[in-house]
Amino acid sequence: MKFLKIFSLILFVGVLVTSCEKALDINTNPLVATSADPNAVLPFVFVQYSNRHTSELGTRMMDVPQHIGSCFNSPRGGNTGSTITGNTWGMYYTQVLGNLALVEADALAAGTTSNNIAAIAKIFKAKSFFELSSIWGDIPFRQALDGVQFPTPEFDTQEEVFNGVLTILDEAIALIDAMPAEVADVSIGDLIYGGDMDKWRRWANSLKLRVLMLLRNKSTAVDNEITKVLSEPMIEDNSQAALIRYADNASEANSWARLITNFFGGTNEAAGVYSPSTVSYDLFNQNDDPRFGVMIFDPNGNGGSDIAEAVFGAPGSKAHVSNNVVRNDMPHNMFLPSEISLYRAELALLGVSSDDAQAEFEKGLRQNCEYWGGDIPGATATIATADIDNFISNIGTVDLQKVHEQLYLESFFRPVIAWNTVRRTKVPDMLAVPGTAISTILKRFNYAPDEVSSNPNTPTNLPTDTPMWFEN
Amino acid sequence: MKKTTLVLLLFFCAMGTMLAQRTITGTVTDNAGEALIGASVIVKSSENVGTTTDIDGSYSLEVPAGLTVLIYSYTGYGTEEMTLGASNILNVSLEEGVLVGEVVVTALGIERESKDLGYSVAKIDSDELVRARETNIVNALQGKVTGVQVSNSGGNLGGSSKIVIRGVNSLAGRNNPLWVIDGVPFNNAQNSGIDRISGNRDFANGASVVNPDDIESISVLKGAAATALYGSRAAAGAILVTTKSGKGNKNGNPRVEINSSYRQDRLLVTPDYQQEYAMGSQFKYDSSSVGFDWGPKIVGQNVRSLPVTGESGPLTAVDDNGINDFFGTGNTFINNFAISDGNEKMNYRLSLGALNQTGVVPGSSLDRYTISLKSGVKHSDKLRSDFGVQFIKTDSEGTAAAGANDPNIIGYSSFSSTLDQNLFKPWIDEELGTQINQLTPTSNNPFWIRNENRNDRDDSRLLTNFSTTYTPIENLNFTARVGYDFDQDNRFFSNRKGTAQRIVGDFTINKFNRTQFNIDVIGNYKMDINDDLKFNILGGFNYNKRKFSSENLASSDLLVAELFSPGNAATNVATRGFTEQVLFGAYTSIDLGYKDYLNLTLTGRNDWSSTLPIDNNSYFYPSASLAFVFSDALDLTSNVFSYGKLRASFAQVGNDTGPYQLDFNFFPAASASGQYSLGVNFPFDGRLAFAKANTIPPENLLPERQNSFEVGAELKFFDYKLGLDVAYFATRNNDQILRLPIPESTGFGFLRTNVGQVNTSGIEFSINATPISTKMFQWNTAVNFSSAKTEVVELTEGVERIQLASAFTSVSVQAVEGGGIELFATPFLRDSLTNRPIINPSTGERQAGELKSFGSVLPDFSMGFINNFSIGDFNLSCTIDWRSGGVMKSSTVENLQNGGLVQETTQNREGTFIDKEGVLLNPDGTTRDNDIPLASAQAFWSSLDNNGVSEASIFDASFVKLREIAISYNLPKSLLANAKISGLSIGLEARNVALIWSKVPHIDPETNLFGSGLDGFGVERSNISSTRSVGVNLKLTF
Repeated sequence: MKFLKIFSLILFVGVLVTSCEKALDINTNPLVATSADPNAVLPFVFVQYSNRHTSELGTRMMDVPQHIGSCFNSPRGGNTGSTITGNTWGMYYTQVLGNLALVEADALAAGTTSNNIAAIAKIFKAKSFFELSSIWGDIPFRQALDGVQFPTPEFDTQEEVFNGVLTILDEAIALIDAMPAEVADVSIGDLIYGGDMDKWRRWANSLKLRVLMLLRNKSTAVDNEITKVLSEPMIEDNSQAALIRYADNASEANSWARLITNFFGGTNEAAGVYSPSTVSYDLFNQNDDPRFGVMIFDPNGNGGSDIAEAVFGAPGSKAHVSNNVVRNDMPHNMFLPSEISLYRAELALLGVSSDDAQAEFEKGLRQNCEYWGGDIPGATATIATADIDNFISNIGTVDLQKVHEQLYLESFFRPVIAWNTVRRTKVPDMLAVPGTAISTILKRFNYAPDEVSSNPNTPTNLPTDTPMWFEN
Repeated sequence: MKKTTLVLLLFFCAMGTMLAQRTITGTVTDNAGEALIGASVIVKSSENVGTTTDIDGSYSLEVPAGLTVLIYSYTGYGTEEMTLGASNILNVSLEEGVLVGEVVVTALGIERESKDLGYSVAKIDSDELVRARETNIVNALQGKVTGVQVSNSGGNLGGSSKIVIRGVNSLAGRNNPLWVIDGVPFNNAQNSGIDRISGNRDFANGASVVNPDDIESISVLKGAAATALYGSRAAAGAILVTTKSGKGNKNGNPRVEINSSYRQDRLLVTPDYQQEYAMGSQFKYDSSSVGFDWGPKIVGQNVRSLPVTGESGPLTAVDDNGINDFFGTGNTFINNFAISDGNEKMNYRLSLGALNQTGVVPGSSLDRYTISLKSGVKHSDKLRSDFGVQFIKTDSEGTAAAGANDPNIIGYSSFSSTLDQNLFKPWIDEELGTQINQLTPTSNNPFWIRNENRNDRDDSRLLTNFSTTYTPIENLNFTARVGYDFDQDNRFFSNRKGTAQRIVGDFTINKFNRTQFNIDVIGNYKMDINDDLKFNILGGFNYNKRKFSSENLASSDLLVAELFSPGNAATNVATRGFTEQVLFGAYTSIDLGYKDYLNLTLTGRNDWSSTLPIDNNSYFYPSASLAFVFSDALDLTSNVFSYGKLRASFAQVGNDTGPYQLDFNFFPAASASGQYSLGVNFPFDGRLAFAKANTIPPENLLPERQNSFEVGAELKFFDYKLGLDVAYFATRNNDQILRLPIPESTGFGFLRTNVGQVNTSGIEFSINATPISTKMFQWNTAVNFSSAKTEVVELTEGVERIQLASAFTSVSVQAVEGGGIELFATPFLRDSLTNRPIINPSTGERQAGELKSFGSVLPDFSMGFINNFSIGDFNLSCTIDWRSGGVMKSSTVENLQNGGLVQETTQNREGTFIDKEGVLLNPDGTTRDNDIPLASAQAFWSSLDNNGVSEASIFDASFVKLREIAISYNLPKSLLANAKISGLSIGLEARNVALIWSKVPHIDPETNLFGSGLDGFGVERSNISSTRSVGVNLKLTF
């Protein structure tokens, strides 16, 4: 009996100890995954990038390059604040580049059959670093995205970043070139090109040219590089445009339009949220530019909004961007062929290439008119070919001023690229900003407060009218 | 583990036996026969069995079988030991001023004489808590306990309050004490559903549901030595709530208590609005410029468009900017009914409480109903059981939003001099359901916001505990205690279709469920080794399991207004959350007492936590405390010196971390975030999305280590009429487990790791005195003082400061290596020699400097002054709080000044405005007085926050408040005898009576944007001021 009691006791204690250990082994979150397929991560990267870009940079700073007369909460007066800087910096580094680094590492580890995935990750990484530097100038680049080895990344100069971006794009193109016949299916994750690597190669080359145009502003030493890339396949047709397509429903709508729906109700034409500035209005409103009719709503001829006026949300007082542009399913266009054609025209005029400047200029105008006049997904208005012909005829002989003006218009609703064009070319003339604390238009953002407080290598913020390195 | 499981086994086996005990009743009086209220009665040799006397000096106590001696004691009176005879009634009279024998509840619910304790424990009795009842029990501790800092989030009904004991020593926000009710831990967490920066909805902290009428006493355990038996969860102190037990009247009838209060609530502080200048800018009238009063001087001039109506008419100023037409008078009804009875075999107490409030914010209300039942059964002399159940149902509507980026925020800067709030009524076209009487089509009618947009909470809380004690032999007992805390917190927010900024209409549902299951099994053996040496050993085992789950639905784009079904919404985003954690603990405590004047307590506890790495999940921590009553040991007592005790303690405490923090994970993304709440949802184009976590998980995570040390003295003079309690404490917190912000350029925002060292040290003292004590008049006064300094000794390599909470623009709360918990913000650019702002010569405006610290957000010290006067049957009591030091940023003040809304902005408004405080830089680097005029006074005030500068709205947060006044009158018993009423008291009571002194203009400096869950002291933004509450009270006892 005594033995039985002791045995029972030992058994009970044994069971209890075992169950204690088991009870403690519960530290695994049942609602998350420990790994993720690139087809699941890439949609997050692209959509998060696009939505932050449209809702933050888009809605707040289209008046910096003065496409729009005035934006709510704009940093144009020189104060870039903590919200726009913090949100944008965090989006690029942690949500986009942080996820892409994992996708790229997994893809490279998987071998050549995942070259396509690694290339996509690299191209979008290069694009992101380019835009980061376009906004802030010097940024963490070579030591970025490796917290173990570089917990406080050093900042690289804009020149170093731009050259590094070119290298990443070359690496991506090399990966595409080395792809085997059978590669991983990334058609679900790649909501830009559906896994079409020919188009990704074109985009990579196009991005190279975009970067080289800024580098050339400082030195013609890159002319050979430019010549080389001009012979590579680039985005040459609106069907190859790099777009993120939104849908005409509340869940997947472009935030440019959604802002109006949520805050004001109705459409932009009725609510008057986005009004072209007199700068962009006047440039569109010449030479019978057919884009004016489909992009600008001005039934009463009120004209563009003076940059001095706060006309945000003032329906009917001035011209507004048309509903053909600002709509739920307006795609976020990241690269259009017209940009390439206009670069080609510019480079031909500068003697860098032997292209026909006039032909490339006209091609760029035609591509852009066709984009807004029908090729843009979900277009609700079209431009007749005859109207395009008439416009091209009216605009006459190409010169640098005209190319730069058209590059400026071509980048409509691409605020960072438009800002780059203005800072690079100084065209068109920017109007004085009322109540500004700086001497020129905004030239750069202050660094994100979280980076300042956690990274001792962050340079001291320069005044926000300090020109970018690439400017002359 | 094996030892503890053995103990557990023994206890469970022991529970099977049932034996008998007896109930002793009686009264405790002084020599004059006056009842002593709150006198302690404990069973000798089983000091964890005891009670206190009630308002009549009566007591009822279950005495375990075999024990025959009771110890009676009362502050300022001698102790009596009485041996039980045949009778179960024992009346005792105590001699005044002989020995201190106050009994306090310590860790695990063990009652001990305070003289035996080597650490600091503060006790608050029932009558102090119900004198002017608080709707959140946390606030009732304000000013009454040394070393306790309470902050609240303003005048919202059902808002949260945060309590911190002896300063901040955790950078990970683990500064909230453990709350324990009748020996069972319960959660004081705050479920925060919405980002505080983009529209904060502050709802109550978990402990707020405790009904003050049900509380017998509260013990505040301050140091780690006091809380060591509770383990890591009480590293920041513990608050032990003991609820009232059942007892009957002396005449054998049940005892009935009724306590009713009615109070009116008004905003405590409103801005000093200017009434001279109209809405507008640059002296130009603009009827749409609400909150921006830089228009023309108001002289009765006719304008073409008056605000809201658009009609022409004369411009007139509205009293106090119409703030009193918007914020109303709140009403608070607090009613409690309790019935209790007890006899030898069993006792019970049933209490029904109701709190019904309407708030000062239009459309806000709160109803809280409490049912609590506590009962004890004596199965035999050797076995007794007790259980308690409290069910609390809280429904609130219309909680105001604070913070920013939410259309529902209405702050003090939402009012204007020429805007009559009454014009906003009505706010809805009843037929069409559309918003009317708006200032502009894109701004909301404030009454629409308050009456059509919902912000509701429905909370059901169940607190249960069951304990059974088995006493097989006289000096040995075993107690098993089980507790379960269940909280179902349902919230509903909506923006009615047609709300500007949320035109399409939306609604959000949050369902939070939080449970805690706790078991303690404790064995206690007591032995008198000889007449001088006493020994007590305790051993126990603890199992604690906590679960949290949330289910959330955010729907927008409603087809039919006010139909809150997912099928009526174009977008529905559903998310879930879940955490679970388990803690096992085994503990022991050994007490050695020598000659009633020297007492040594040693404790040890080992915890095993599920949240730490399996191989490193065990941590042990010891404590030691020593109490020395030197007045007895050295026989120093005299007419002047009555009592003296020295105490010292040391404790080491470990700490775990939160669940699920060790693995690297990818989270399914429900949406992609955007500015202005412009999210895009997944599936997007049919694609699902996953995103990596933003925190790098830790490698080789270690438990946190906290060492704390305390010395103190208790001294009594003049027959106990004057008392002094003083303590010095120091805490060193190493290896804190922190989500360390890292540069986002690494691809991640945070790294979870062990970092640094934080030291906290301070002193506290309290003085209690009875300057006058006669039969007709008694004056009791108490002053308590506490000062705690937090020093961040070390962070981690290469990191000089860590952001603990970010606010707006450049403002953040940071832990600074070599410093403390400090408010960082962008200052004005200043001349290093004169420290005067350097003026921009082209504009006359101040300029932005480099981000800097404005000092600690924590107070240098806080003091409480409590006075109680008894004149015959009248009683008057009042409490004053003084908080000194600490800085705060007020966005409300910033907006009030920026918008020209307040008095100071009228100075020199129409003349040439030169910032005389500023200097201009000379070419040689010297400075001269500024003589550059600004464009206007408007340019000065509205440029103060340019480029993210916050200096102009950062203030010293010191204040003095008259916290509480209560006047009561007890009707003489001779008048009540015929009515069979044993007690009737009527009174006037007032809470949060007056802000006597403050350095922050226009607002209540106590309000805080961050609720109880964060350490974000020092930031205010659009919080509703706390309220002054004045009313009447009736207490009736049958």
